[in-house]
Amino acid sequence: MSPRLAGACIAVLRRDLVLAWRRRSDIAMPVLYALIVTMLFPFALGPEDSLLQRIAGGVILVTILLAMLLALDAMFASDIEDGSLEQLMLAPQPLALMLGMKILAHWLTTALPLIVIAPLLAAMLHLPAAVIPVLLLALLLVTPLISLFGGVLVALTAGTRRSGMLLALMLLPLCVPALIFAAGAVAAAQQGLPWLAPISWLAAVLVLAVVLAPLACAAALRIALDC
Amino acid sequence: MANWIPLWLHRLSSPPTFYRFAGALRPWAMALAVLCGIIGLYGGLVLAPADYQQGDAYRIIFIHVPSAWMSMFIYAVMGVSAFIALVWRIKLAEVVAMESAPIGAAFTFITLVTGSLWGKPMWGTWWTWDARLTSELVLLFLYLGVIGLYHAFEDRRQGARAAAFLAIIGIINVPIVHFSVNWWNTLHQGSTVNIFGHSKISWDMLWPLLAMTLATKFYYAASLFRRAQTDLLDLESGKDWVRKIAESEADR
Repeated sequence: MSPRLAGACIAVLRRDLVLAWRRRSDIAMPVLYALIVTMLFPFALGPEDSLLQRIAGGVILVTILLAMLLALDAMFASDIEDGSLEQLMLAPQPLALMLGMKILAHWLTTALPLIVIAPLLAAMLHLPAAVIPVLLLALLLVTPLISLFGGVLVALTAGTRRSGMLLALMLLPLCVPALIFAAGAVAAAQQGLPWLAPISWLAAVLVLAVVLAPLACAAALRIALDC
Repeated sequence: MANWIPLWLHRLSSPPTFYRFAGALRPWAMALAVLCGIIGLYGGLVLAPADYQQGDAYRIIFIHVPSAWMSMFIYAVMGVSAFIALVWRIKLAEVVAMESAPIGAAFTFITLVTGSLWGKPMWGTWWTWDARLTSELVLLFLYLGVIGLYHAFEDRRQGARAAAFLAIIGIINVPIVHFSVNWWNTLHQGSTVNIFGHSKISWDMLWPLLAMTLATKFYYAASLFRRAQTDLLDLESGKDWVRKIAESEADR
């Protein structure tokens, strides 16, 4: 990568991170959402340790998936409003790379705080401490996948007005396989079984998605904004 | 040289030509669909013998299996025409892709409903999180996502292109549905009918099944032709050929 291209990548990344930092309360929202949703489960199902332990892995994964879905809408919204996305599309740098940086910034600002509080969520549901590293590993692989898939779909709905529910309808079916593998790894670790196979699958899919999703995202954005 | 095939296809992709082509073929497709449907249903519900284990309950396959095949076939058609629409920007391909989606969603829904009706007496449950069932459900959501995205845009051609892109992403699910019974050993049975080999089903039961398959294929063609005709009239409204059709309809 030439130094100028790297400079452009860093500029896009820094701009998005600075913008996110200026609106810090937006970063806190998905975290609060995940905390509250996780808190609801013991109330709804009863505070029985063995039951909570059994469902903990799945509940945390689904909660984080939904929290990310809430924040996904905002990925390109402000850039479309102030026209900076069009400038990015006209720029000589490859659009896919720039969008990849934007997706990375989005992952850093929404998914990373969620992963940081994941041990707390796990403790709230009495997940055994030995399983928490596997859960974190699964989350580290699943959340970028959701961000990348989400980036493509958000780009597709960029030209529409009411995209929130539509985004859920499109994203959640695509996330089913990733969710199955991540939950499978956590469940296997909980039962003392080898959990490396589903984690390797997730890693393989993530490698594929890192390469292909930014390209698809760029193509989708050109279709949705018609230029 | 067989030069006329690409030429003919090119001409067919023009909306007025396709409008007339679809109008001419639609009654035939519909008639064949009804004919094959009657033959298949009579053969399946009356002539075919009862299963030695499942009794008469197995007869739901004459609806369930053709619908399941159609749910994947239509998605494949949609994916291919979506690809053509995005690469060559052919308006007719967009129309075919977008008008296939509701028909495919309907067949997927029928598959799921008939499957769970059969599952209650046979498996003792309406629904189970089996690989085949789950991937078919995901297929339904993909169809609904395509339809939803198409209607979310104000400009219909832009919506069609965005939804076509989503359809291409979702096509990865079709092989998963097809091979799910081989890859995961869960409750849904493997395939009994084999195109290139020996089918593990009696001929008395196979021929009504094939007749029903033909019926669903012809029904899809007829339905698609009608939907595409209406859609083309709407898309091209204001053009000369549409005005002529409207005038001739007004004169009747």
